[in-house]
Amino acid sequence: MILARFLGPRVWILVAVILAAAILVPLANLWLPADHPLHVPSYLVPLFGKYVCYALLALALDLVWGYCGILSLGHGAFFALGGYAMGMYLMRQIGSRGVYGNPELPDFMVFLNWQELPWYWTGFDQFWFAALMVMLVPGLLAFVFGYFAFRSRVTGVYLSIITQAMTYALLLAFFRNDMGFGGNNGLTDFKDILGFSIQADATRASLFAASCIALALSVLLVGWITRSKLGKLMVAVRDAESRTRFIGWRPEHVKLFAFTVSAVMAGIAGALYVPQVGIINPGEFAPVNSIEVVVWAAVGGRGTLVGPVIGALLVNYGKTVFTGVWPEGWLFILGGLFVFVTLILPRGIVGTIDHGWDAIRATRRARNAEKGEASDSEAAGDPRAVANPAE
Amino acid sequence: MGETSVVQKVADEIRVLSEPQGAAPPPAVSVAGGPADTAEQPDGGLPAQAGASSGPSRPAGAAMDPGTNPATSSAPNTMTSTATKAAEPAVSPHPYASMLREKRLASEANGRARRETLLYLDGVTKSFDGFKAINNLSLVIEKGEMRAIIGPNGAGKTTMMDIITGKTRPDKGEVFFNGDVDLTHHDEAAIASMGIGRKFQKPTVFESHTVEDNIRLSLAGPRSVLEALVHRKDAAERDRIEAILETTRLTARRATIAGGLSHGQKQWLEIGMLLAQDPELLLVDEPVAGMTDAETEETARLLREIARTRSVVVVEHDMHFVRELGVKVTCLHEGSVLSEGTLDKVSADPKVIEVYLGR
Amino acid sequence: MTRSIRWLLVGLAVLLFGAASASAQESPAEPGTAAAAQAAGSAATSAAGPAAIVQKFGGKQSYDETEAVIIELAASGDEAVARALRALRDGDLYWRKGDEAVFIGKRQGDDIAIFDPMTGEPAGAVPRGEMEKVRIKNSIRNAVTTALGSLTLRADNPAQRMRAADTLFSEADPEMIASLGEAIAAEEDTAVRARMQEALASATLVSDLPASEKAEAAKILAARGDRESLSMLTRFAGSTDDPVAKKAAETAIVAIQSNIAFWNQMQNVWYGLSLGSVLLLAAIGLAITFGVMGVINMAHGEMVMIGAYTTYVVQEFIRTSAPGLFEFSLLIALPLAFLASGTVGLVMERFLIRFLYGRPLETLLATFGVSLILQQAVRTIFGPSNREVGNPDFMSGAFDLRLMSVNWNRLWIIVFAMVVFLALLAVLNKTPLGLQMRAVTQNRKMAAAMGIRTPWVDAMTFALGSGIAGIAGVALSQIDNVSPNLGQGYIIDSFMVVVFGGVGNLWGTLVGAMSLGIVNKFLEPYAGAVLGKIVVLVLIILFIQKRPRGLFAQKGRFVDA
Repeated sequence: MILARFLGPRVWILVAVILAAAILVPLANLWLPADHPLHVPSYLVPLFGKYVCYALLALALDLVWGYCGILSLGHGAFFALGGYAMGMYLMRQIGSRGVYGNPELPDFMVFLNWQELPWYWTGFDQFWFAALMVMLVPGLLAFVFGYFAFRSRVTGVYLSIITQAMTYALLLAFFRNDMGFGGNNGLTDFKDILGFSIQADATRASLFAASCIALALSVLLVGWITRSKLGKLMVAVRDAESRTRFIGWRPEHVKLFAFTVSAVMAGIAGALYVPQVGIINPGEFAPVNSIEVVVWAAVGGRGTLVGPVIGALLVNYGKTVFTGVWPEGWLFILGGLFVFVTLILPRGIVGTIDHGWDAIRATRRARNAEKGEASDSEAAGDPRAVANPAE
Repeated sequence: MGETSVVQKVADEIRVLSEPQGAAPPPAVSVAGGPADTAEQPDGGLPAQAGASSGPSRPAGAAMDPGTNPATSSAPNTMTSTATKAAEPAVSPHPYASMLREKRLASEANGRARRETLLYLDGVTKSFDGFKAINNLSLVIEKGEMRAIIGPNGAGKTTMMDIITGKTRPDKGEVFFNGDVDLTHHDEAAIASMGIGRKFQKPTVFESHTVEDNIRLSLAGPRSVLEALVHRKDAAERDRIEAILETTRLTARRATIAGGLSHGQKQWLEIGMLLAQDPELLLVDEPVAGMTDAETEETARLLREIARTRSVVVVEHDMHFVRELGVKVTCLHEGSVLSEGTLDKVSADPKVIEVYLGR
Repeated sequence: MTRSIRWLLVGLAVLLFGAASASAQESPAEPGTAAAAQAAGSAATSAAGPAAIVQKFGGKQSYDETEAVIIELAASGDEAVARALRALRDGDLYWRKGDEAVFIGKRQGDDIAIFDPMTGEPAGAVPRGEMEKVRIKNSIRNAVTTALGSLTLRADNPAQRMRAADTLFSEADPEMIASLGEAIAAEEDTAVRARMQEALASATLVSDLPASEKAEAAKILAARGDRESLSMLTRFAGSTDDPVAKKAAETAIVAIQSNIAFWNQMQNVWYGLSLGSVLLLAAIGLAITFGVMGVINMAHGEMVMIGAYTTYVVQEFIRTSAPGLFEFSLLIALPLAFLASGTVGLVMERFLIRFLYGRPLETLLATFGVSLILQQAVRTIFGPSNREVGNPDFMSGAFDLRLMSVNWNRLWIIVFAMVVFLALLAVLNKTPLGLQMRAVTQNRKMAAAMGIRTPWVDAMTFALGSGIAGIAGVALSQIDNVSPNLGQGYIIDSFMVVVFGGVGNLWGTLVGAMSLGIVNKFLEPYAGAVLGKIVVLVLIILFIQKRPRGLFAQKGRFVDA
């Protein structure tokens, strides 16, 4: 199968596993009786859904960081913007069921004595519009921000710092009540989505399945991008930006493309995240959140498709476990993880496995070459992108 | 060509150099009556005299090549298109084009001459923090010419390349490509797309890509992001890559990750990437630095072969290599041209001797 | 270097205690002379004793007798009797029927709360029946007013005369015009005379003098130009009918308003400098680690936090073991904070950062991990809530400078930031360590070849940068909440300052910090604090894109001081 060779078997296994989860987890939750050993309790479904959204966010970051060399410390901002767009739709769906019973205005606006919806809230009662905004707002912000940043060749650490400043500025802005996004409390108390109660098990299972499908599609999308000539160009930009420029490419365009696509993916992740956790508040913009995403990708292995997904799942599962057992300990663990992964495991889990595998193959190839055998079997090209942790 | 012949050749060169007044006649005396001393007022009649040099230099370069290398046989095929392109006269501006520019051109004494050139630098000055890296530099490269640029450290060679390729903007002075394209108004990518390729001093290739992908990314063609996203490999592309791999002797290494190449192979790969760009002018910065003698020899052959169809500017310290190229030499010092002519002429120039040995 | 800073601080502290005690005596003039003059004054009057003269109000006496006492009091020239005189004028002066002792009294229901007429200290309460009021009439009141004015206007001490003029200015009593005129004629001190003329002008405005004189008075008040003059003139402009005087008053009002606007701007600049010095303190350590070494230390904020917690620990220790040392707690905390943060920095460099040189993005991530660990460690040890760090006396309170209000702690932080800055500059440019640091920054290999132990220099540089962050923490503990999140609040700002100012340039950091501080404070009135900050962030983001190397880009050389 051409596609299988195109992305490599590992990616297809990942996609298959994700899609299987999309079917099996809802089934195990809804159809299996509660006393069945494989039953998935209802409280776990949104938790798993949250992990899947995080995995999607990590994958989005990997596209820019792992493949294009842009360490964005502001991806949490795109995630939160997507979440807010979805949250606005969910707020409008509450209708007159709010505490104040105002059919038009969300509760916090009534509380602030606002008379009418701000102009930027119009349209969010329509799902299609909100869905569009989920992609458009983060995408547009990334496009404008990236346009200025990449055009003036802000690179490396400087770029990281200004992306962090960007999300910090948004954090401050969304904390303000008069921004019209619920200030400190954010948007919450959602009732239903597309007419289904957001609390219902079936809705939650569907949201989980939707998240899985979004993740699977994103893995394929990122796979397609990174295996294309453009993907090779991204890696080229990452490794030798000036070389690409001197052979006539415009690295800023390549980066802008990756950054914008990645921001849209992050926005979708945020939009799927919000109905599952039931709240979106300015805390999502906190710079710490964005940096945490980096460690997910780093743990799994940046510059690979599978790595960030595994990293996000592992780290967040660890977080759930640890915050239950030893709440104060989690930050020690997370901090230690940052240190460990940069110092000991710079390629991440998947990258390290790959590297070992490559080394084995290299020795085998060398042996073959000694025997005089043509190593042309390699000429079809290594299907996997090569992780290069050295910056 | 065996190992012995290379060694023999190098030995010859050393003998030649040790007798500076040139026991052996220089193989490529190409500058017809060009005064060796153009350092004082290079902008005077320079373009005119340089114009005379373009013709003979190429055959001279070719003559030196024994042509025994089987790889060369395929090269002309791939480069036919550029060869004809390079032979065409400069694209002169439409008569009704810009009145203003016509006026300006008319007012310049050597405007006509400039438009016949491939690369034209006049009165270029660039200073960093008060240090004049380039000082009133004037230089003309003809179409199809191969030129070697020598000069001590800090002579401004790399800055000159930076200016030509758009990495650095000159403080003042004119830089024209193909007669009427003002390079100071374009950035690196645009200049690269116009047909100026540049090899860095330190070999810079995409280390995590295969040799083949390195060349594929460099192939001339659309440079849009969306095209790259939906790009499909086709037979023509494969053929061109094949030809370039052969020219640069990297066919066997095509699937190797570039980071695993030897230093010399990286240099060749970078030259191959330049070729893939299909440029009219190649700027090559110290191509043989850190190479073995055999590799140096091979590189000289490669560059001469390229120079048959394109203009090449080589910056190099290695005098044996420059002699091997057998082309007109420009010596830079403190940001301006100190001496210009054949290698023998330049190396006999007392000013050059003083710069290299005197202090 | 810490030693030099410490000595400087000791010197500053000594100066400051002098100033603080002076301000406690409410003397705007030089403290020494004021105290001496007062002592001389009380010695001169001790013969008759102003307290004794005041006692003469006791017992039944005629109005003439009362007036005679008033004149006698005025002649004493002792400012201390003013309290009794004012009480007399207001009808609050009483004498006790039993012993004819004189008190100031305040009626409290059936009782009268009595106070000493000289010091104003409470002397208990007595039933109304036991006290008798000193009787007054209008002529007595006038006599008192005149006496009050002339009393202090004629004092030997110019500071006292100045104060009298100030009081009269605020009272704006037309009765005083005559005595003010005499005092002005006799006055030799130009500053005092100007103040008296202002007092005269304020009185003139409310008097029934001709309009032309009032117009002149308006001009004098315009020159004074403070809020009090403005309200006087506004009242006058509203009440007068005379067109000339009204016009003069309105011109004066405009002039004063622009003067006040000017001082408002100055106040903004002051706030800006204050914020800028805070930013400078937070960023200056970063200017070393990031600017000089190129190490992205995301745990820099936590170094500041460690410094602040060191101050807390020192103060706790002093509170329990040596309460008398509280005033010196900051001085004690400074070297300790330097050591604490410096040690943490040293450990970080040796065990983490040195493996990551040349990999800035990895360094960023690893140090971020360290920042999480440090935060959580502090949270575990000291608890998540804010810790109380007290201000020593010299750090509290405020004083007025013309129309500007200046907080002592802000002032000291500006001074301190400058001292740290200059000390750091000196370390970089005048010490062997600084020389080696610069050598290693410029050409590591060459420096190593010259026999400089580059790893040691790296470690020391990083420790120095971290230690300075710790010192900054001591200062910031005075104006900010000491909590585990203290550092996080500064890290982005600090990076902005360093990047804005230009990496590797201490002067750039100074200019960057001050200009960001001032811009922030000027935006605040228009945009609000949060929005102002956002605007500044956006401006910096745009600026970095325009000039990626910062305001003062490093050009080959390190810092040229």
